Amino acid sequence: MTGWLRTILLAELWVGLWTTLKNQFRPHVTVEYPRETVDLAPRFRGTPRLRYHPENGEELCIACHLCEVVCPCDCIHIVSEKKPEGKGKRLVSFEINLERCCFCGLCVDPCPTKPLTAIYMSHDYELADYSRTPFVAPLKTLLDGTTPHEYSK
Amino acid sequence: MEPRALVEQAVIPCLQVILVVLLIPLVIAYLQLVERKVLGFMQARLAPRRVGWHGLLQPIADAVKLLIKEDTIPARADRFLFTLAPIVSVVPALLALAVIPIGGVPFTLFGYEVRPYIADLDIGVLFLLAVGSLGIYGILLGGWASNSKYSLLGALRSGAQMISYEIPLGFALIGVMMLAGTASLVGIVEAQKAAGWWYVAPQILGFFCYFVSAVAETNRIPFDLPEAEAELVAGFHTEYSGMKFAFFFLAEYTNMIVVSALVTVAFFGGWLRPFPNVRALDWLENGWVLLVPLALGAFFGWMVDQRVGGGMRFLFVGGLLGGLIGFGIGAADLFGVATASAPQLAGAFWFGLKVSFFLFAYIWFRGTYPRYRYDQLMDLGWKWLLPMSIANVLLTGLVLLLRGGGAS
Repeated sequence: MTGWLRTILLAELWVGLWTTLKNQFRPHVTVEYPRETVDLAPRFRGTPRLRYHPENGEELCIACHLCEVVCPCDCIHIVSEKKPEGKGKRLVSFEINLERCCFCGLCVDPCPTKPLTAIYMSHDYELADYSRTPFVAPLKTLLDGTTPHEYSK
Repeated sequence: MEPRALVEQAVIPCLQVILVVLLIPLVIAYLQLVERKVLGFMQARLAPRRVGWHGLLQPIADAVKLLIKEDTIPARADRFLFTLAPIVSVVPALLALAVIPIGGVPFTLFGYEVRPYIADLDIGVLFLLAVGSLGIYGILLGGWASNSKYSLLGALRSGAQMISYEIPLGFALIGVMMLAGTASLVGIVEAQKAAGWWYVAPQILGFFCYFVSAVAETNRIPFDLPEAEAELVAGFHTEYSGMKFAFFFLAEYTNMIVVSALVTVAFFGGWLRPFPNVRALDWLENGWVLLVPLALGAFFGWMVDQRVGGGMRFLFVGGLLGGLIGFGIGAADLFGVATASAPQLAGAFWFGLKVSFFLFAYIWFRGTYPRYRYDQLMDLGWKWLLPMSIANVLLTGLVLLLRGGGAS
């Protein structure tokens, strides 16, 4: 009986209209991207970057090649040499091919430097460029990052 | 006396025609903006707001784009009919506006008598229905002349749909004509004034049938099968671009306005204020001016997206505009440009408010309902709306007979 009455009075249609009417006055969810950006979660995985040593200002990386080994898409390429004095190796070049990188963050896990890992997933995600060359990021880019273009309009 | 009659009988109606033809595209351009805004808000997203302040120039940009766009005609299309179809579609739509009254009583402007409608035909409702069904020709011709299967299918669907829904549409209005005892649109509103209520109360069934049929008649969602993009690309206007497409667009929106205006006139008392016989609301006769800033403020506050919020700011803008309008009315009265202008302006205000509501309802339906399947559409038209509208006519007749006949 009530089902019949609901059909006659078009109850479902009124519910639908009420829903859209309510939505009218709800705050919008659109983010006008270039002008405003979303807040990133702390664990957000942007491009992998390298850290400077917090004390002596050199790169923190000890050239152990673990990230190169673990990388599932082979996008990390490290060239290292023996340090002229003392123990260990030092970097000659460190390249990450961002065209191949899948932003999985696996390179960070085996990194042995403590307490900070030498390689980390940064919050940079504005990577578009006009040519393919900058996507093979050299050591300098990895350490210093890139400055994204300011949106002006 | 002779030149005076000439001006009143010929020049002023001509000017009114020009005014309507010029004004309607502008109104429709901004109606489109409002539609996009409302739809956007219904989907919790931002509407156009890049071109101009909060998208205020978006319609201009759209119009310019349509004007300078390449106007393609498909190979082996019927060039003559292809060009004729948009015109055939838009002219009846504009023609229907001729009998829509914004007010009932003529007023004087610069000493000349101006009627708030272009023509008051004794067969106004019939004229509207006749002219309204002419619009199908434009769609059928356009679909056929395009030499495209999608267009042809869309046009055929449209033809079948519009003919099916024409019948309940007419029957639904018969109830109103029986109550009013006239088919003149001005007469119908006058009859509602005399009866002391809007005809939506005794004709609720007729109103329902009319509005649903009218939405189907204008090919709007949820009855937009002729342009069902999932199946037919864009239906009858698949092959149209540039200004020709704009004409179809214009016709669709003009039809929406005509339908909303006819609903207002036939069922919601046209230019009458709400509850025309309730003494307690008599202050509305002059107090409507107070509602103008409220209405404008609420409207602008609503159209600006929620982040800017602060409806108060826009209430202020509305108040300013309303104040200017009130000042204009006062000045016109003072300098004797227009005398006794207030009742007509009040009528225009109420009329506009009601028409706006029904235009909003169109957009509201578009934001809410999914499209009908074709057989469901035919079912609804023939098995539900048609019997319902006939029952409504019979019921109205019975009640009139029992109450001693004649118009009530």
